[in-house]
Amino acid sequence: MATAVGIDLGTTNSAIAVVEGGRPTVIASAEGSRTTPSVVAFTESGERLVGQLAKRQAVLNPRGTIYSAKRFIGRRFEEVDEEVRTVTFDVVDGPNGSVRFKVHDKLYAPEEISAQVLRKLVDDAGKYLGEKVREAVITVPAYFNDSQRQATKDAGKIAGLEVLRIVNEPTAAALAYGLDRKGHETVLVFDLGGGTFDVSLLDVGDGVVEVRSTSGDTHLGGDDFDRRLVDHLADKFKNDTGIDLRNDAQALQRLSEAAEKTKVELSSVTQTQVSLPFITADSSGPKHLTETVTRSTFEQITADLVERCLGPVEQAMADGKVSANDIDEVILVGGSTRIPAVQKLVRRLTGGKDPNMSVNPDEVVALGAAVQAGVLKGEVKDVLLLDVTPLSLGVETRGGVMTRIIERNTTIPARRSEVFSTAEDDQPAVDVVVLQGERERAADNRVLGRFQLTGIRPAPRGEPQVEVIFDIDANGILNVTARDKDTGAEQGITISESSNLDTSEVERMVTDAEANQAQDRRLREAVDARNTLDSIAHQVEKTLSDLGDNAPAHERARAEMLVSETREAVSDEAPVERVRELTDELTQVLNGLMAAQSSAPAPPPGGSSATASDDDDVVDADFDRV
Amino acid sequence: MTAQGDAANPAAGTGAGATPPASAPDRDIAELEDRWLRAMAELDNVRKRHSRELERQRAAERARVASVWLPVLDNLELALGHASDDPFAEGVRATLDQAVEVLARLGYPRHDATGVPFDPAVHEVVTVQDDPDAPPNAVVRVLRPGYGDLRPAAVAVSRQRE
Repeated sequence: MATAVGIDLGTTNSAIAVVEGGRPTVIASAEGSRTTPSVVAFTESGERLVGQLAKRQAVLNPRGTIYSAKRFIGRRFEEVDEEVRTVTFDVVDGPNGSVRFKVHDKLYAPEEISAQVLRKLVDDAGKYLGEKVREAVITVPAYFNDSQRQATKDAGKIAGLEVLRIVNEPTAAALAYGLDRKGHETVLVFDLGGGTFDVSLLDVGDGVVEVRSTSGDTHLGGDDFDRRLVDHLADKFKNDTGIDLRNDAQALQRLSEAAEKTKVELSSVTQTQVSLPFITADSSGPKHLTETVTRSTFEQITADLVERCLGPVEQAMADGKVSANDIDEVILVGGSTRIPAVQKLVRRLTGGKDPNMSVNPDEVVALGAAVQAGVLKGEVKDVLLLDVTPLSLGVETRGGVMTRIIERNTTIPARRSEVFSTAEDDQPAVDVVVLQGERERAADNRVLGRFQLTGIRPAPRGEPQVEVIFDIDANGILNVTARDKDTGAEQGITISESSNLDTSEVERMVTDAEANQAQDRRLREAVDARNTLDSIAHQVEKTLSDLGDNAPAHERARAEMLVSETREAVSDEAPVERVRELTDELTQVLNGLMAAQSSAPAPPPGGSSATASDDDDVVDADFDRV
Repeated sequence: MTAQGDAANPAAGTGAGATPPASAPDRDIAELEDRWLRAMAELDNVRKRHSRELERQRAAERARVASVWLPVLDNLELALGHASDDPFAEGVRATLDQAVEVLARLGYPRHDATGVPFDPAVHEVVTVQDDPDAPPNAVVRVLRPGYGDLRPAAVAVSRQRE
């Protein structure tokens, strides 16, 4: 089945997304960036460049570099007077009062330019997906009229795409949050992009999204905030040194980059340092720009920009006849909504509601468009609904802890197995306790069942291999089997209730685990440390008995003393520090003994080194002694 | 293993066997087989996509880490522009060369040549200059060197003659 994509065709930047494995994801461009500048350039030599490359040569070729085509698409020449004055390329009156861009004596329609951007997005996506992309959902601002929508659709056609649907940007944002699947709600979408600001009020519910009202400011965005910071820094520098950095192309570029970085940083910290050493020089030597910018300074110099968002929001609410109390959800779109002062304003205007911002605001529109494309292509229909295990499943192991075999949220059917061993020499049987839950301590989890595997041949601890297999079928029925790899003897249990917990019970168990995470981790560490210590003590004892009289007397005395201290520490559940200390000392002793063993006249076959390497693939676990 | 498989199958068998109507078993088998094949194919595709994605993520992370060091390199280079030709400056210059070499080995070779034709794949025009000696559209000055895909070189380009 051919893949359908969702495209956010923006004024300054565009993005493309696709539904993969039931989830929308943004596809990076060939240059590795998740957004592509909506810029097309025609060079002197007749070459055509799109995106990042076009943007890079804009200064050289101002009249051949077309940007902001979205401001012109589907409009009449007489409507775009204002826009014409803000761009560097030639805009002319075309046939029937339409808009045309004039480049090197050739005329281009805005939809042809947008088509180039679409083509580039789709080609890059095709490379990523490994198949040609033919169908797309494209988004437009909610205020676009029929002619603008039709022109956008035509752009898609020129790019060789079948446009499945033209979707409103705020609607796409709501889809990305899955709001259409909830009950009836009034949603405010606040979209502050790089160069434009849009507010929309939506009626959402029962799979239908309707635009109640829209408002905005076509020339307000993140770039304005950057410019304020550049001016602030340049003015300060001029005051201190008398040099205006804005007249130096190299310095201005560094300053602009630093300003954007500062803006981004001030969204997460309250002050940051701008450091541009060797920014310029005069007769007295090199000059450096070092300046601390606080969030409150940034808020001061951009306060009027933030205030400009106020009017459109109030306008949209008045037009939509809703008050702050009627708004159920607020969605933030556009990178500039990360600015804390902007978020504060939104909260103030919507009666203190916490806005939705868990989906990346730069990508949310493209993601929503991809969701719409997936729905239109019926991608969901063919997918088998697969269940997951709501909680982890495992067995109890030495020290009373739970060892997980199937992690929670594993898609079923699933089958996992793990090999365990015995905790004591000549242990004839193991108890398998099947547990469900997220806590580290076995006793804090739910016991689903227990059984015993008997008839294990006498062997030193750690040597028998018992494979424990957990198998959950598609109906959630769990089969647990324990098998002695030596004799082939096996024992099992079938549990049908592993999945019939109600959601609140599952939630409680997960929340419990989260609340006790730190404590549980300490407990687990303590148990693991004691288990390690215990098995080293065991190895020391074994090596001692193997060596017999060959063990150096002083080493033997020290070893025996440490082993008895260890036994005490393990049975008293000594603190982790004490256990680690003993482990270190015992390891030294063991190394010493093993050195003595290898130089001893008759080393017994299958010494401790074999045991040590066994530990790699055999989980050193406990099955209770019977 | 075998014994285990036998033990598990009856349970799964009864679970699945209860649903399909007995009237059209062949059709059901065909459908189930189709679904199974699709699932296996999907699994295979996911595996391939995952390994491709891993490669991409690795490259992206390498680029991210390498590019945060670029300002440090730039500033060191700018500092050396003010240094005289004593042995100390020589040593620092060698250190800078070493850093440039490290980046090249990571796959981000330096672009700082002048006199070459402007190429948007490696250059970004910051300013345009009138230079009667240079051919049009040539890089006349490098304001900041570029490094592979991390960053294009910021350059001044000679004006196109009308």
